[in-house]
Amino acid sequence: MRYPGRWSIFRLDDRMLLILVGIVVGTCSGLAAVALSRSLIALLDWTHPYRHYWWAFFLPAGGAMASSLFMNKIVKEGAGHGVPEVIYSVSRYGGLLRFRSSFSRLISSCLTIGSGGSAGPEAPVVMSGAAIGSNIASFLSLNERQRITLVGCGAAGAISAIFNAPIAGLVFTVEVVLGEWTALNIIPIAIASVAGTEISHVLQGDNIVFDHRQFDIGFPDTLASFGLAVLCALTAILLTRALRGMHHRSARVPLPIWVRAALGGGMVGALGIFLPVVLGEGYHSIQQMIDGVYAPGFLLVAVGMLAKVAATSFTLGWGGSGGIFAPALVIGSLAGLTFHRGLAFVWPSVAWVNEGCFALLGMAGLISGMLQAPLTAIFLIIEITGDYGVILPLIIVSTITSSVCQYIEPASFYLKELVDKGQLLRPGTDGRVLADLSIQELLEKDCISVTPGMLLRDFIEIVKRSRRNYFPVEDAVNGHFLGMIHLDDIRPYLFNPGMYDAVVLEQILDREAAVVHLDEDLSDVLQLMDEKRLFSLPVISNKRFVGMISKATLLDRYRQELRVQTTR
Amino acid sequence: MKLTINEVARSLDLPLSTVERWIRQGRIPIKRSGHTYTADRAVLKKWAKSHNLVFSTAELEPKEAEPAQGSETLLYAMQRGGVLHGIRGKTPAEVLASSVDAAEVLPPALKGALLDRLLEREHLTSTGIGKGVAIPHPRTPFAEEINRSVVVTCFLEEPIDYMAVDSRPVFVLFLLLSPTPREHLQILSRLSFCVRDDAFVAFLKDRPDTDDFFARIAAFEQALDQKGLV
Repeated sequence: MRYPGRWSIFRLDDRMLLILVGIVVGTCSGLAAVALSRSLIALLDWTHPYRHYWWAFFLPAGGAMASSLFMNKIVKEGAGHGVPEVIYSVSRYGGLLRFRSSFSRLISSCLTIGSGGSAGPEAPVVMSGAAIGSNIASFLSLNERQRITLVGCGAAGAISAIFNAPIAGLVFTVEVVLGEWTALNIIPIAIASVAGTEISHVLQGDNIVFDHRQFDIGFPDTLASFGLAVLCALTAILLTRALRGMHHRSARVPLPIWVRAALGGGMVGALGIFLPVVLGEGYHSIQQMIDGVYAPGFLLVAVGMLAKVAATSFTLGWGGSGGIFAPALVIGSLAGLTFHRGLAFVWPSVAWVNEGCFALLGMAGLISGMLQAPLTAIFLIIEITGDYGVILPLIIVSTITSSVCQYIEPASFYLKELVDKGQLLRPGTDGRVLADLSIQELLEKDCISVTPGMLLRDFIEIVKRSRRNYFPVEDAVNGHFLGMIHLDDIRPYLFNPGMYDAVVLEQILDREAAVVHLDEDLSDVLQLMDEKRLFSLPVISNKRFVGMISKATLLDRYRQELRVQTTR
Repeated sequence: MKLTINEVARSLDLPLSTVERWIRQGRIPIKRSGHTYTADRAVLKKWAKSHNLVFSTAELEPKEAEPAQGSETLLYAMQRGGVLHGIRGKTPAEVLASSVDAAEVLPPALKGALLDRLLEREHLTSTGIGKGVAIPHPRTPFAEEINRSVVVTCFLEEPIDYMAVDSRPVFVLFLLLSPTPREHLQILSRLSFCVRDDAFVAFLKDRPDTDDFFARIAAFEQALDQKGLV
């Protein structure tokens, strides 16, 4: 009973096992989503009476401070949106996540958002679901591939449950989190999406998140969506840069992290006094905009959009906790509204579709721009609005926004940091293969070591026995590596017996030879080989020679690794 | 059939650490529960084939005891070939013909072909390596016909002009036949090491007794083995 992974029920069939466990994981993350959503509503209700006082702007400050204290002092987890952490763990640690991650971000984001901070509950729930999946996988001692699938199940269940959108959950997981479409992954993830959605049906009822009346889309609207795509792309870039800029700025402020969070929250609260649309996750405002009953005029909507960008970057950049999903939806619908009002102003004679439709398209644009994941945006918007009629402009806005953003910012918001650090290792890529292989696995240990005091005569005897052209020279006393001798170095003297007793190895050894250490990354080693045009390098560990690493062996093992990783 | 992961690593010709990592990452169909691994040979073989990897369990069979180092040495080859005395002839072709004829170790069917190939080799350059010694041999090894190297030592009745490198008359032939080029080189190298010693050549000139001769060769081989030379 010691190892649950050994119970015979789990050993029947791997695929069956993943599907069964996927249902459990999907259900758990569905529950997490419902729990967060319920507690957010409760917290909003509870703080509602205080929103009219002049000191209401202290509420987001207090919430952000509490959330930052909780994250840094109590659970001791770094800030962050959640999704990049999950992607990082999938790409670097085979999906290993800490158990406390399954609740820490739920609580901290609840404090941030419930008090009015501008952030979304989606990323925390994704993180939480992923951590649940990862821990269940570890409990059953599953391997990394299976664990990654279960992490995906958790993420899919979370998105599915929040938005009542199973396809969006599936597509988001595969497109953004895993980056790999295989039958082995998709089936359990799809099942987990269903489980997550089902849980939210049972507990919350089956309702479309943003219900609305039918839109009557004409040709001019489809045409106009090209323009909206450009506006969305610019807004997405603005939001990305603002978030990152704010993050860097706050890091330079010499104050404790929780004071910084409080400062950011206070700024959001101050903005919220004038423009209440910026507060919270903003689902209520989205509903109004889609219904076409959002009252403020063109200028106020445009300012509101910019203010929401600012509020989101104040909240998240200064240490609050939460995701960018919901803010992106709000900003997107504000962008859509702005664009629609602009159109109606310039061409008042054209019969434009209701502005709610543009709000909806704007949401898709922002999501696909921020995540650079057009499919996620398309399926999400279709599912949360339950309207297939908008599909044509929806595809145009999503794909164009995503490609324009990709042109300006090659890596999406989630991946930017990972790409900069070289830590985004999608399956089957060069980076993945090189990261998986370690120098230890490539060592060639058939080199014969010599000492610096050896005579050329004795060395030639060793050359006769050796199969290699490289000879490491080690200190006779402490065994430390001193340098290399290549056969080419002695070739001129090989047939000159007069030199045999005249030359000691010390005189011909190359002390400046390039070396690599056992723990270096293989990509760096290859870089060094390319720069110096070398085909093999000595490997040093703890000042001692441990073996050679050569391009020939590397090619051999690289191919094997690639085949094992890519063939199913 | 069950394999340990050590055996799996050897069958795949990979380091153990790679196989362990593949198991951890779930890339190879070996199941782990707790600290035990289950690896099935048939399953792995199929997996390796579908991934275009070499999987050979032959590596695991205990290897046939390889011939001990030195068994394929000069001494054994010489003992197998035997020592012939009083070989008659006035020209290289004649002495070669009578040597081949007299050598009992050679299968009779081979003798004609062997003589042709020896003469062909002599035609190229004389195999007289100097100091009155010649080492006739065919240009290509007899891979099919013989399976062990053979050195037939033939003392000539009269020294003859063999067109040797130093133009000195040749009084002894070491007829060398090997199944592989590698063995050929190995024995040739050892033989030339012996001949380089002037005392040994003087010893040969006295037409030594077969037992003394082999004892001398054994002493040389021992010296070579100690130095770790081939």
